[in-house]
Amino acid sequence: MAKQGWDEFEIGAMLRTFEGKIEDIAGTNQEDRAYSQNSSFVASVADWRIAKPVFNKDFCIDCQFCWIYCPDVSIISRDKKMIGVDMDHCKGCGICVEVCPTNPKSLLMFPEKADEETELAAWPTKNKETI
Amino acid sequence: MSEMKKIKNLKEFSTSADRFEGANLLCPGCAHSIIVREVLNATNDDLILSASTGCLEVCTAVYPYTSWDASWIHIGFENGSTAVAGAESMYKALKTKGRLKQPDRNPKFVSFAGDGASYDIGFQWISGCMERGHNMMHIVLDNEVYANTGGQRSSSTPIGSSATTSPAGRVSYGEKRNKKDMVSIMASHHIPYAAQVAPNKWKDMVKKIQHGFSVEGPVFINAVSPCTTEWKFDPKDTMHMADLATDSLVFPLYEIIDGHELNITYRPKDVIPVEEYLAAQGRFKHLFKDEYKYLIKEWQERVDANWAYLNRREAARV
Amino acid sequence: MAFDKIQLKDIEVWDGNHAAAQAMRQCQIDVVAAYPITPSTPIVEGYAKFLADGYIEGEFVMVESEHAAMSGCIGAAAAGGRVATATSSQGFALMVETLYQASGMRLPIVLNLVNRALAAPLNVNGDHSDMYLGRDSGWIQLNAYCPQNAYDLNLIAFKVSEDHEIRLPCMVHQDGFMTSHTAQGVYTLSDDAAYGFVGEYKPMNDMLDFEHPVTHGVQTEEDWHFEHKARQHNDLMVKVMPKIQAAFDDFEKLTGRKYNIVEKYDMDDADVCVVCMGSSVETAREVATEMRAKGIKAGVVGLRVIRPFPFFEIADALKSVKAIAALDRSSPNGAPGMLFNEIAGALFNTDTKALLSGYVYGLGGRDLTKAHLVSLFTELQANVDAGKVTTSLQQFIGVRGPKLSFL
Repeated sequence: MAKQGWDEFEIGAMLRTFEGKIEDIAGTNQEDRAYSQNSSFVASVADWRIAKPVFNKDFCIDCQFCWIYCPDVSIISRDKKMIGVDMDHCKGCGICVEVCPTNPKSLLMFPEKADEETELAAWPTKNKETI
Repeated sequence: MSEMKKIKNLKEFSTSADRFEGANLLCPGCAHSIIVREVLNATNDDLILSASTGCLEVCTAVYPYTSWDASWIHIGFENGSTAVAGAESMYKALKTKGRLKQPDRNPKFVSFAGDGASYDIGFQWISGCMERGHNMMHIVLDNEVYANTGGQRSSSTPIGSSATTSPAGRVSYGEKRNKKDMVSIMASHHIPYAAQVAPNKWKDMVKKIQHGFSVEGPVFINAVSPCTTEWKFDPKDTMHMADLATDSLVFPLYEIIDGHELNITYRPKDVIPVEEYLAAQGRFKHLFKDEYKYLIKEWQERVDANWAYLNRREAARV
Repeated sequence: MAFDKIQLKDIEVWDGNHAAAQAMRQCQIDVVAAYPITPSTPIVEGYAKFLADGYIEGEFVMVESEHAAMSGCIGAAAAGGRVATATSSQGFALMVETLYQASGMRLPIVLNLVNRALAAPLNVNGDHSDMYLGRDSGWIQLNAYCPQNAYDLNLIAFKVSEDHEIRLPCMVHQDGFMTSHTAQGVYTLSDDAAYGFVGEYKPMNDMLDFEHPVTHGVQTEEDWHFEHKARQHNDLMVKVMPKIQAAFDDFEKLTGRKYNIVEKYDMDDADVCVVCMGSSVETAREVATEMRAKGIKAGVVGLRVIRPFPFFEIADALKSVKAIAALDRSSPNGAPGMLFNEIAGALFNTDTKALLSGYVYGLGGRDLTKAHLVSLFTELQANVDAGKVTTSLQQFIGVRGPKLSFL
């Protein structure tokens, strides 16, 4: 965000998360919130990643382990279903892949520059030895 | 009293709308934010939050960005607990005087702080908050080290850990003193609830946080927070590290009600040897040299003794 | 309302501490977080007794240290309500970290600082060492000379501090024991009149507004920190004095008691004058009048506002005088005194040819006697007569042993 002069911001270095009023934050999903320019929600840490998770919904059982253990609020679950990864906020730690219980895993790490379609097409099959 | 949020299972929990945001500056794989999410998502009530200076604070409120969707305050290293106590006092005052803007809300007051900010520099402030009976919860994100400043020892750093101010070296095995039993100290304030939690045991965590929110008076929570940077393990292994911590009983999960009723809340089916917990972390690497292997044995004995102590307390209802 | 009012007499006999406690009661503070320390303790005790007797509604939090007292005040102020506390000396020193946080976060808090020396050696009596310790902390500092001032300035402090264009914390200073424990007649306002003057607290950026969550106490590094500090300094330099003046004007209309940013006494035709603070101002006025009877045209300038420093008001008050004594009641520890430096700065680019000399006095509660002031005024007149400063620029007065002077 643009750097302002000394007379252009609120006193006390205070920050507002939302534009205007929000009545029920805990009852409002992120896509329905009016975030201000000062919420880190509008920022991106995508450039931190050297590896990225790719989600294969064909094997997902919606157990939500990836949702609960994601440190970066980057597993998007709606209506009890895992629907994808927020690639602006994912730092590529790989926890989601580690905690994924399916066989084969529904999430795997690939180099940041890997092509998602290609990786999905070449997804590993069930591994009987290491469940 | 508002109704407790119903969280029967993980699928139901996953419908929570997070009030903590990504693009914060915590390390990839940091357990702090996993704990914070589990805590905040345990309730739908409004929240008034604080963080003492430390990793969580410096990574979530660096101007011009905030990662907090509820009102949040940071003052200093030692006084995050008192900041929330002050806010809670103002809430009570304005409630009495009928000046709350939204009088029907039922806010929860929570202060987060690291082990340095809780066991060491903020100890007196937290003790004061617990003693005075504020309706608040203090949560320690216990990674057993001053991680934010680069890995100096705190009074939560365990024996044999190599920290930058108690480094392992040619003639030293690192930290010489065992960590402070903070949960017992805080429970000795005879607060209504004190507990130890771990992020891998999310259901135990949520149950305890909800219990803490349901009681009147101060609550103390010690949460083990595996630190990829200072414990020296791969960021993807954070939850594995938490599993090792709870299942080796290095971090037993228990609660103390009113200072005199201890319940063990998690009994691992297969207890893992402490050696496995130590071996998984770079900070203990030097203990596997021949001359320090006796320390691993002592570690196991210490953990066993503590587990026996907790079991004795539970059996005796004290 | 679930508390009772108190019917005050028009004039009550109060010491400075009780005057401050009464003003705090009348302001209907929402949260007081405090820790006792001599000589400010009776303010905290007085407030506690009002609470115990049902004359106050609100939270009184007796914390475990002064640092926690200000920490609690910061949390409470950020939550959104009227907040105050009191302290002295070592307790104030322990608070210093949080003073900068309170002002940097732009939170209105009123702190009654009953001035006392700083150890070592330990001393419970009045000097201005703690006041000086706070002077770069970004707070407004108002200075009481007597219990009446302590009462009045508390009311004014809330009004200025809480103004949405200001939002800066404010200290009200009074001298330990000399003012805090000396009972005098104090003209009172009724509870309604006092509260009416201060007004209802108007929240701003309040954490307890759940529909507008706010983040307080962020980190700013080299790319933002300077701008935020510059903003705070700007507001102190530009916005505060007019608000203080407006509050003084309103207060005069209400009570007939007139306060000025710089208090001038017999300065219209003065040749010599002293500039000082606290209870010494009243002593100096008495001696100045006596000097006039001896043919020395003496005057006194007292600072009512210490921060922001009344740079132009001081220069104006001193523009016609020929010799000035700056009286600092705090050991400068290796420099000229604060007042000496500030006055020199205020006069340096003006046309004045006034002779400025500094005096360090009264440390640890040592009395400033009338005899000291008589010889001081006499020295100033000698400087005028000689057309130069005939003494060292810095002299210690009232200390035993060989004459101590520097510069």
